[in-house]
Amino acid sequence: MSVLSAKLGLRRRGWFALWAAPLPVWFALFFLGPMLLLIAMSFWSVQNYRLTPDFSLSAWTYVLSLDFLWSTFWRSYGLSLLSAVLVSLLAFPASYAMAFLISPARRLTFLGLALAPFFTSYLVRIYSLQVFLGEGGVLPQLFHSVGLSGASLLNSYTALFLGHATLTLPVVLVLQTLALGNVDRTEMSAAVNLGARPLQVLRHIILPAARPGLTLGVLFAFLLSYAEFVSATYLGGGVFQTLPILLTDLIRGGQQWPRAAVVSLLMMAVLLLTSLVTVAWAYRQKGN
Amino acid sequence: MNTHLKHALPAWVWFTGLMLVFVILYAPIQSALVFSFSADRFPSLDITRFSTKWYAQVFADARVLEALKNSLTIALSTALVATTLGFAAPYADFRFRFFGQRMVLALALLPPTVPIVVLSLAMLAFFSRVGLSGTVGAIIVAHVVVATPFAMAICRLRLEQLPQEYETAAQNLGATPGQALRLIVLPHAAPAIGAAALITFAVSLDEYAIAWFVGGLEQTVPVTVLNTLQGQVDPTIHVIGTLAFAATLSLVFAAQLLLLRSTKSHKNKEVSP
Amino acid sequence: MTQPLLELHNLNKSYGTFAAVKDIDLSVDAGEFLAIMGPSGCGKTTTLRMMAGLEEPTRGDIRLEGQQINDLPVWQRETPLVWQNLALFPYMTVRENVEFGLRMKKVPAPERQRRCAEWLDRLGIAGFADRNVAKLSGGQRQRVALARSLVLQPKVLLLDEPLSALDAHMSIRMQGELKRLQRELGITFVYVTHSHSEAFSLADRVVIMNAGRIEQLGTPQDIFLRPRSRFVAQFVGGISLFSGMLKTTKEGKIGIDSADGLLQIADPASAQSGTRCDLAVRADRINVTTQPGWGTNEVPCTLMSEEFAGAVVNLHLETAAGTGIVAQLQQRDLERLSARAGQQVYASWHPEDGVLLGAPALKAVA
Repeated sequence: MSVLSAKLGLRRRGWFALWAAPLPVWFALFFLGPMLLLIAMSFWSVQNYRLTPDFSLSAWTYVLSLDFLWSTFWRSYGLSLLSAVLVSLLAFPASYAMAFLISPARRLTFLGLALAPFFTSYLVRIYSLQVFLGEGGVLPQLFHSVGLSGASLLNSYTALFLGHATLTLPVVLVLQTLALGNVDRTEMSAAVNLGARPLQVLRHIILPAARPGLTLGVLFAFLLSYAEFVSATYLGGGVFQTLPILLTDLIRGGQQWPRAAVVSLLMMAVLLLTSLVTVAWAYRQKGN
Repeated sequence: MNTHLKHALPAWVWFTGLMLVFVILYAPIQSALVFSFSADRFPSLDITRFSTKWYAQVFADARVLEALKNSLTIALSTALVATTLGFAAPYADFRFRFFGQRMVLALALLPPTVPIVVLSLAMLAFFSRVGLSGTVGAIIVAHVVVATPFAMAICRLRLEQLPQEYETAAQNLGATPGQALRLIVLPHAAPAIGAAALITFAVSLDEYAIAWFVGGLEQTVPVTVLNTLQGQVDPTIHVIGTLAFAATLSLVFAAQLLLLRSTKSHKNKEVSP
Repeated sequence: MTQPLLELHNLNKSYGTFAAVKDIDLSVDAGEFLAIMGPSGCGKTTTLRMMAGLEEPTRGDIRLEGQQINDLPVWQRETPLVWQNLALFPYMTVRENVEFGLRMKKVPAPERQRRCAEWLDRLGIAGFADRNVAKLSGGQRQRVALARSLVLQPKVLLLDEPLSALDAHMSIRMQGELKRLQRELGITFVYVTHSHSEAFSLADRVVIMNAGRIEQLGTPQDIFLRPRSRFVAQFVGGISLFSGMLKTTKEGKIGIDSADGLLQIADPASAQSGTRCDLAVRADRINVTTQPGWGTNEVPCTLMSEEFAGAVVNLHLETAAGTGIVAQLQQRDLERLSARAGQQVYASWHPEDGVLLGAPALKAVA
């Protein structure tokens, strides 16, 4: 048993490691490594314009005492939350149509079409929006021709929202449609059988059953909008200073990486907390 | 939907919502296509003349061509590595029981939850420390981290449809683990592996933040677009955009077709005679 | 004495703290048809999978022709398995499925094709050789699975509930074919099932497992007529159980002093007076009458319900003490009885039809 078994064990283990090891190794080195470095870096100091490993709280105290950091933080949070809710409302009729009014075979095609833009040049789409909304752009021209103001629509929340929608609609549509598509049709029939009218079916059967998926839609829209800086910069313009813009400025600015690290960690903490609370709420069940 | 189930609002309301959403999603894509053929310098509704001069200008631009070369190198390498990792991990998960199994999956699904700006900073700091900042290799390594979760999700879904017995049955009939993988698992997973390669290629081709932060002077196509966004109106961006849309959309649709066809044939096989 | 073909020695399998298989000792002779039966989760499939090398034993030995094969990897063992869901390879034709094992063993093409053709023919599926396996009927798929394993000419074929996917009619037809094949080929079959009818009609010997252990091993008749424990009696079904103290009366009669009175037995048994014992009586040995005075062991009961099972009827009775009794009657006997639910009847049987189950302390060592 001994020799043969040991050899065999080694061969089996080698085969296993060949498949199991690559991803954890790569992610430990190139994902966990950088993320841990980010944490460490928040305690480093900048001496004579050089980044120096250290254990110093100066970046933390500096960043946390900035008044405009907190106002930026809350503005970012509020704007992305608003966008997330609005995008979800905008997407709902479309998701409902895909889930209930379109045959399952066609539904996959529509979902594919809805998801595809997620993977295609976001930057160019934002540029197109800039052209659409800017002075002399398509939309102001249209508005002007019907007698409204033809002023640029850029640097407004409308522009920022459209940017956020461009980014998050695909994900929200897919999550909502899957959630609505999975609602048990028998439950809906049972409700009708017990005298529920269409609106009551929607309110008491469909929405509660789809709640986890719908909530995840809001959450993902929030996460993506909150971390986004291109729309905020090029559509919202200087009007909306957000945390990611602040962060990019800090990073591109050069040597203030410890401060950038602190801002990053704050962002991560907020996202994590929001996600946990939302997920817990989404999957909460009545009764025990 | 069954006839006794009526909708709370008339069908046209829901369908209008559906149309609106698709207009918002596809209008910017379409406008890039239209304006890329407009001879005017400033994009406006009344296009005076159509021409392909901006295309000629883009293809004559050494800066763009250099960026294109970088983008393709990075996307190809990323697709190769990310698909390998994205197949290996779910295969190990599917085939073996081991300690920390769930942790590996959780670890691999983490990167998409990290804001891309934060991830970029972490990568920039990391590659600066190891002296690789500003290289194409650094972008590839980072893009693999971003793209692998997609490959993994696709491969995992496909592997889950394969009853575990098939592979063990092959071994029971004398196939070594390698033969069983090659003859039983790979033919089943092939569409997913193909789709994963296409999607990871598209993800890398499209990624701008990490490439911008980590790449330094090595620019990719999205980074040149980002630089143009900051400056003046530049009609060539419509050309680059149109080409980018054409490339990524065909990649994504090809991937979706692969997956759709494989699930259909899978369903046919499940039908009992 | 000839050597057993397949032997399990003190075989154990645990998953963490859960012991799926405990101290199994079993030897299977060449040419034997052995069925392993038990409720789900009893460890029967785990035992079979260990034989095939799909699970590693936590402790113990598996020997094939005296050679220990514990450490042989799956692909080097010659113990093909017919899977519960058949596990036919979906991307291959019938022929490719059947040739698969030969290809893996690098059997030269001419011989491979000859053997494949022979088995396709033998199992009556030669006409479907180039079909996709997905396009076959349940029975045809079953035959492909059998051909795929048998073409390797194994010494032992392992079968894991192979007929469970078939409908009742097809299952009975395949049972007949399996039995005929096994006779003709003289190959050892180890057959795991939860179906009594399959196990009892096919097997030379039956193993009843419960909670990871072997509860009883014997011929179908043995198990049917002489269940060794309450578990086996209940599992086999159609048996009424009484429990009480073993007692010898002043007249020298031996019986069980149960809540339903003294129930006599013919066999003096190995147990001593005063031991707690279980008495089993088969449903077809119980006589039901509307008047008392027909037999030795007679218990007044209430007729609870009738359950029709083709030509026979199962009557469910309950005694005053609450013991449940099952009696099996022919249809015409029931008509003669003309009793209705709720009516008082009498169940009786001969002392020699009562089987004393092994008292736990004296469990026979076979």
